[in-house]
Amino acid sequence: MDLQLNDAPPLIMHIDLNSCYAIIEQQANPLIRNKPVGVAAYTSPGGFIIASSYEAKRQGIKLMRIRDARAIDKDIIILPPDPEKYFDAHRRFSEVLHRYTSEVVPKSIDEFVVDFKGSQAVRSGRSLTSVGRSIKRDIRASLGEYVTVNIGIGPNRFLAKIAAGLHKPDGMDVIRGSDIRKIYSQLELIDLPGINYRYKGRLNLAGIFTPLEFLAAPMHKLKGEVFKSIVGYYWYLRLRGYEVDAARFGIHSFGNDYAVGDKTDDPEQVARLLMKLSEKTGRRLRKHDYQAQGVFIGLGFENNTWWGKSKRSKILLYSTQDIYLHIVRLMRGFTFPARVTHISVAVFDVRPALPVQLGLFDGTRLDTRSLAEASDKINDRYGEFTVVPAAMANMQDVIIKRVPFGSVRDL
Amino acid sequence: MREKIDQEVSVVSYYSAKKKQTVPYHLHWQNKDYALGPVSYYHSYMEGQDKQHIFELVDKENTLWFRLRLDSGNLHWTLEAIHDGLAT
Repeated sequence: MDLQLNDAPPLIMHIDLNSCYAIIEQQANPLIRNKPVGVAAYTSPGGFIIASSYEAKRQGIKLMRIRDARAIDKDIIILPPDPEKYFDAHRRFSEVLHRYTSEVVPKSIDEFVVDFKGSQAVRSGRSLTSVGRSIKRDIRASLGEYVTVNIGIGPNRFLAKIAAGLHKPDGMDVIRGSDIRKIYSQLELIDLPGINYRYKGRLNLAGIFTPLEFLAAPMHKLKGEVFKSIVGYYWYLRLRGYEVDAARFGIHSFGNDYAVGDKTDDPEQVARLLMKLSEKTGRRLRKHDYQAQGVFIGLGFENNTWWGKSKRSKILLYSTQDIYLHIVRLMRGFTFPARVTHISVAVFDVRPALPVQLGLFDGTRLDTRSLAEASDKINDRYGEFTVVPAAMANMQDVIIKRVPFGSVRDL
Repeated sequence: MREKIDQEVSVVSYYSAKKKQTVPYHLHWQNKDYALGPVSYYHSYMEGQDKQHIFELVDKENTLWFRLRLDSGNLHWTLEAIHDGLAT
């Protein structure tokens, strides 16, 4: 089967905020505009820059340690992240897009996909580039005059995202089916959204070295030889401009990661951090009115080793105490090979929390649940971590709120 | 460079019925008065049941950036941070 390139009108728009966190900081503070700026989780020399302004990017400062960035430009301005401000920007961004259509899907805190099929704008004969220009104006009016966005328009999400990356910052490009070969001829495999170094290696092994060769590869080769699954078929369609990425997935897990500032191999200190991560995970689980039936714990160490373990639980997990106790059980008998640098806690196999069927011999199960709900109510009213388990005493400034990459379901 | 302050300060603000916005326009801090320029970014968040209003702006002379917080629970103003626009 030789499937033609999709020549349907390009009605999918991909929009992302340029250098999101850095540009919002530059909007908030006019004194740092047109200067190299980096937003870092920790502002000490070993801290990692998670977002940099275009002025910094032009010098090659992207994701790197502050000390390395300062070696490139000693005048780079380093700022701590301000999650609440970025959440606010995300909400305003979303509100602007919803003025045009309800088919708005957030892909992360700083990028959205908008499907204009059947929208009022399209029915009235307006071009999407005209709509795009309006969106740029509205975003400036809502977020501030310094904020710019990249807009890409294509027949599917994949091509729209490629289009959005063609002319940064503040660009707007359209890719039609007839443009696909020309656009691919200008790109490397690694430039294609979804192609990481592992996939690139697979493609290279099959004799595919460029996007044009990827496009020319027959479906049976992609499906049977390169990806060895249905994934190959999806790539065959995606590359030609057909939509395969519109599925919306449900929630499967909740988790929290923490890069330990003061590396430690003190079991008591690690236990306190685990309690706080369990509380944050539990709060999110309960906020969404879910319960879970499995826990995961992962630890990273100073000697670059990693240990992780997960287990399904017999009971449905709901309270912080339940999550914490199951994690402690997973860790029983494990000794730290070095100081702990990273901690990950997650609950999985989540499902909506149903009213509890009381059993005659349930012991304290309902007590734990009621306690969790009561402490959540107090924390909702008086602020996060007003009531905490005793093990978390005096930990207000440890594991503070961080900006999320990817998921925006908690915003 | 950015400096964390976290001190309660005296602020004069006004409410514009036309723009439906409250805007701080004068700040007194460390025995000095600052005439404030337009708000560069405003956002709010809930801390428990109290809404915290954050105003980020520079003084009219463009020398200093301020991050001011108005606590809706007690209507107190706090100067959270300043920045002179330099790296160090």
